[in-house]
Amino acid sequence: MFKKILIANRGEIALRIHRACKEMGIATVAVHSTADAHAMHVRMADESVCIGPPPATQSYLSVPNIISACEITGAEAIHPGYGFLSENAAFVQIVEDHGLTFIGPTSEHIRLMGDKITAKETMRDLGVPCVPGSDGGVPTLAAAQRVAGEVGFPLIVKATAGGGGRGMKLARGPEDLAQAFQTARSEAKAAFGNDEVYLERYLGRPRHIEIQVFGDGKGHAVHLGERDCSLQRRHQKVFEEAPSPVIDAATRARIGKICAEAVARINYAGAGTIEFLYEDGEFFFIEMNTRLQVEHPVTEAIYDVDIVQEQIRVAAGLPMSFTQDDLVPAGHAIECRINAERLPQFTPSPGRIRTYYAPGGLGVRMDSAIYDGYVIPPYYDSLIGKLIVHARTRDLALARLRRALSELIIDGVDNTMPLFHALLDEPDLQSGRYDIHWLEKWLARES
Amino acid sequence: MSKRPQDSDVDFIQALAEMLRANDLTEIEVNREYGDADSLTVRVARQIQHAAPVLAAPAPAAAPAAHAAAAASAASTPPPALDPTEDPGVVPSPMVGTAYLQPEPEAPPFVKVGDAVTEGQTILIIEAMKTMNQIPAPRAGRVKRILVEDGSPVEFGAPLIILE
Repeated sequence: MFKKILIANRGEIALRIHRACKEMGIATVAVHSTADAHAMHVRMADESVCIGPPPATQSYLSVPNIISACEITGAEAIHPGYGFLSENAAFVQIVEDHGLTFIGPTSEHIRLMGDKITAKETMRDLGVPCVPGSDGGVPTLAAAQRVAGEVGFPLIVKATAGGGGRGMKLARGPEDLAQAFQTARSEAKAAFGNDEVYLERYLGRPRHIEIQVFGDGKGHAVHLGERDCSLQRRHQKVFEEAPSPVIDAATRARIGKICAEAVARINYAGAGTIEFLYEDGEFFFIEMNTRLQVEHPVTEAIYDVDIVQEQIRVAAGLPMSFTQDDLVPAGHAIECRINAERLPQFTPSPGRIRTYYAPGGLGVRMDSAIYDGYVIPPYYDSLIGKLIVHARTRDLALARLRRALSELIIDGVDNTMPLFHALLDEPDLQSGRYDIHWLEKWLARES
Repeated sequence: MSKRPQDSDVDFIQALAEMLRANDLTEIEVNREYGDADSLTVRVARQIQHAAPVLAAPAPAAAPAAHAAAAASAASTPPPALDPTEDPGVVPSPMVGTAYLQPEPEAPPFVKVGDAVTEGQTILIIEAMKTMNQIPAPRAGRVKRILVEDGSPVEFGAPLIILE
């Protein structure tokens, strides 16, 4: 087992990783920009190394400074968290070249799933159902029009180097295709340096359902059920729950088995999430994230596992702590992502937190790195905390969430707590009757 | 029953004075915020015969994190009279790595205290990822102090030398 792990991230997830390490008796190294010198995980870690000025490109994305920080502290492994370098195949290669362990999958698998076209081909070959679409990239408008004839409208033009909701243009009918195609390509070139695009059928009212998988890198893998992350604003998730209100045990077992067998067959190591659009009882693969996800706590709650500790175990060459038969979900969990943003426009709202009080009690988990007097820096994303509740049923979880939200105090910066107070009063949320367009339609009505 | 505010302030000042004496300090300044527009700033100072380091008092909240060994190695040299990161002539490290004061183990150091340097002149090297990176003087000046020990780890922003 590792003696010392470097946490190549910041904020709530850095604290999460630190906590997992501490419970395993592993020393932690926090790396931080000058703007994060007073961050909570920096205070708690055994050692810290300042790796650059505030801009992420010069600090949290600075491969030389992060590798160097391992060298001077003697850290043997790096946990990348999510975002930043967590899905950077070149970084993984460099980590390995320096005799360090990257806590995550191989650079080959990251590369495979990072390219949305090869990811889809790989998944299709492994028997995972996919959205009808072009077979690979579409290089010309003529090719796009030909494919569109087979795929059908409405469709989306997607950047292969995109992901996370970026680089997508909708074409409702044949008359929209040319413009969608041209603008998608030029935007992709500008944003990702790669203008390759592919086409996919656009689904009218799908839900976003993702399957958590975990592999040991030696051909064994399990699934840990689904998360429903349909409530999104501009492709950013704000509210997640496990299990999904619309997935029953038989469906879970069926799609879970397909996903687990797919990643087992490629000897996948560590945590991964296979994301689907789900409509009318059918699953359609959209992408695989080869890392820990923000919303992993809801899965941890219902399966009573520590996914970060499992990542560390597997990276150290140990077997997983569980088999598929051990993984029986219990109860219902919900997570709200709290952002430092001013409603109704969701304008980023950094600043100093005057008072912070976290809710507690049975079945309440608050994953946050903020504290009284903490200054939220303006250089990074606006997530300041995740409130997770777990209860025996969905109704009890909603009641618990309402109660926990009423206790939570974040004073001094604008934040999105009021959004969740309002959502909990909505009949569609209470009944679980929503799809990936629901939240934006609701926000448009409310403003 | 809680004390009158003035009693608490007096206790606080006495505690600071005791801290000053017990730790052989010359000066402590603390600002405490009790609420909106309600704060207390206290500075206690004393004269002693020998020079002693002046340190900023730790904030009443959680203790600051331990930094990488760069801070520890600086402390093992004679204590500085001033916090080096606040000296206007400080040259901070532009990267993370291990600092070496000479090009090779047996060679003479790049600079010594008292040397005049030109802008761009190599003042030390920082090794990172098996490559040696020459660190240039950002401006012309005279080397007033060297703040890192040979072979010590440095983080981004760590004070390397002071240039007058």
